[in-house]
Amino acid sequence: MIRLQDIEKVYRTDTVETLALSSISLDIAKGEFLSIMGPSGCGKSTLLNIMGLLDAPTKGDIRIDDQKTVRLSDKQLAQFRNKKLGFIFQSYHLINDLKVLDNVELPMLYRSSTAKERTQLATEALRKVGLSNRVKHFPAQLSGGQKQRVAIARAIVGKPEIILADEPTGNLDSAMGNEIMDILLQLNKTEGTTIVMVTHDENMARKTHRLVRLFDGSQVQ
Amino acid sequence: MFRHLFTLIWNKKKQNFLLITEMLISFLVVFAVFTLVVFNYRNYRKPMGLEYENVWVVNYNNTLKTTNADSVMLFYEGLKQIIKSMPQVREVSYTSANIPFTQNSMMNGLDYKGKHINPNYCQSDEEYKNVLQIKMKEGRWFGKEDMNVSKRPIVINSTMKEQLFGKESATGKLIGDSKDLKIIGVIDDVKMKGDYTDAGAWLYVKIDTSSMPGIGRILVSVVPGTDAAFESRLYKTIANTMKDSNIEIEHLTNKLKDINYFALVPMIILSIVAGFLIINVALGLFGVLWYNINKRRSEIGLRRAIGATSGSVSAQLVSEALILATLSLIAGSFFAIQFPLLNVFDLPAGVYLTALALSVVFIYILVLICSLYPGRQAAAIYPAVALHED
Repeated sequence: MIRLQDIEKVYRTDTVETLALSSISLDIAKGEFLSIMGPSGCGKSTLLNIMGLLDAPTKGDIRIDDQKTVRLSDKQLAQFRNKKLGFIFQSYHLINDLKVLDNVELPMLYRSSTAKERTQLATEALRKVGLSNRVKHFPAQLSGGQKQRVAIARAIVGKPEIILADEPTGNLDSAMGNEIMDILLQLNKTEGTTIVMVTHDENMARKTHRLVRLFDGSQVQ
Repeated sequence: MFRHLFTLIWNKKKQNFLLITEMLISFLVVFAVFTLVVFNYRNYRKPMGLEYENVWVVNYNNTLKTTNADSVMLFYEGLKQIIKSMPQVREVSYTSANIPFTQNSMMNGLDYKGKHINPNYCQSDEEYKNVLQIKMKEGRWFGKEDMNVSKRPIVINSTMKEQLFGKESATGKLIGDSKDLKIIGVIDDVKMKGDYTDAGAWLYVKIDTSSMPGIGRILVSVVPGTDAAFESRLYKTIANTMKDSNIEIEHLTNKLKDINYFALVPMIILSIVAGFLIINVALGLFGVLWYNINKRRSEIGLRRAIGATSGSVSAQLVSEALILATLSLIAGSFFAIQFPLLNVFDLPAGVYLTALALSVVFIYILVLICSLYPGRQAAAIYPAVALHED
């Protein structure tokens, strides 16, 4: 499903050159739930951003669903992200001025869909994460766990094949973290969604199919 | 997408209220400026209706000792003949003080079949039309046949004719409280108050040179190229005839320049005030949009992650600004449309409607210019960086 070959990422400023990732090669199968662990600053989020086509590698090749993504245009990348990928972030990234339902509908705005279809899909996604009764609320009226569930609903509303989660339980207590993890496991199991999750939590990582460890930008496991 | 943007704007109504108010106020000021500009421009485009080159005005104060009507009439007739006999002079006319291109006005209310108008009254003689080369639209100008008639003959201009009679012919009609004024002719509109002022309603009555009041100006049409030496001779000739009188000779071309400046001053002042306001609004708008982009970096990063192109992010921010402008323009247009509906300032509706259209276009262009650069900056935000910051 996702194939990374010899990925290297270097951040350059006028005076400093920082090697964020070095020679990362990774194959992630369809339906796999993979977790990435490592100390802070080891390049986990950078790797996830590269997989999510939000950042470009300095060197190497990325194939998603057998499609080469390195030379895609801005428009093609946007379409690719919209249709194939779903994102979950540690800090949720919900738009505070939009209601829960409108937040979940967001990815569908960038597809050709009617308002009715959008509402239907968003309502369905919110039902899956158990937030059917919060559709009219604003993010500020929700708890951290509820916000992350809204973010998950937003990630799955477009039925993407891959979900990339950057420390989805990082801001939550263990009980809420477990709830979120259960939802992700459920998605992986029932929908067959491929999930790549960056985490600091060994317990969460153990629940996934495979664990990749990074250290100083290199893959150590 | 528009529904989504409306939702976003509506949910941020408190933050957007000040911006909408700012745009509304600038729209109203711009509307005022454009109204004045359009009104002046429409007047400027209209023909002057008279020939003012090579026409001089002699201002004098009458110091005649006699009050005998025949003597006074003979005096003025004699003076006219003296001036007319000079080779450089083409035509000479006596007229009241409200000559072309002065602020002097003599107005009097007049009713006709339930219509009330306030025309300018001008006293003039038989040569007035020829001196200023005014064109007749119907009927005739004053002549010898107008002596000793029971109804006082008058000539009106096209505007007054339109106001009283519409498309009907005016010649032969009797007006005035006791139907004592008989219209003998209608002239083309003459812009008596300069290039930028509309003609207004004018009514011409025949001057009575046998009575003292009302007379005080002589219009002299001279041949092209007549120089200052002749002006001096003319001055001396009149001064010799009118002993102890203060005489001043002016040129209509200079008077036109002066009155045009006078008409343009309010427009220039208003334009300067509006200019400062618009600069202020533009900077404010630019600042608010810039601030919004920095405040919304996380949202912009998220939108990029879920499928927005850099172009659509830019378009979204520009569209938001244009929607806010539209809301303020709807409110502004509501106020602006009251001016033609209530006939405020008695201007033609077309002036207000043109000014309204120009103001709408102006505000849209202003908002577009102010939002384009911040929009482009937003498009340049790197999603990975923006998402990592929050």
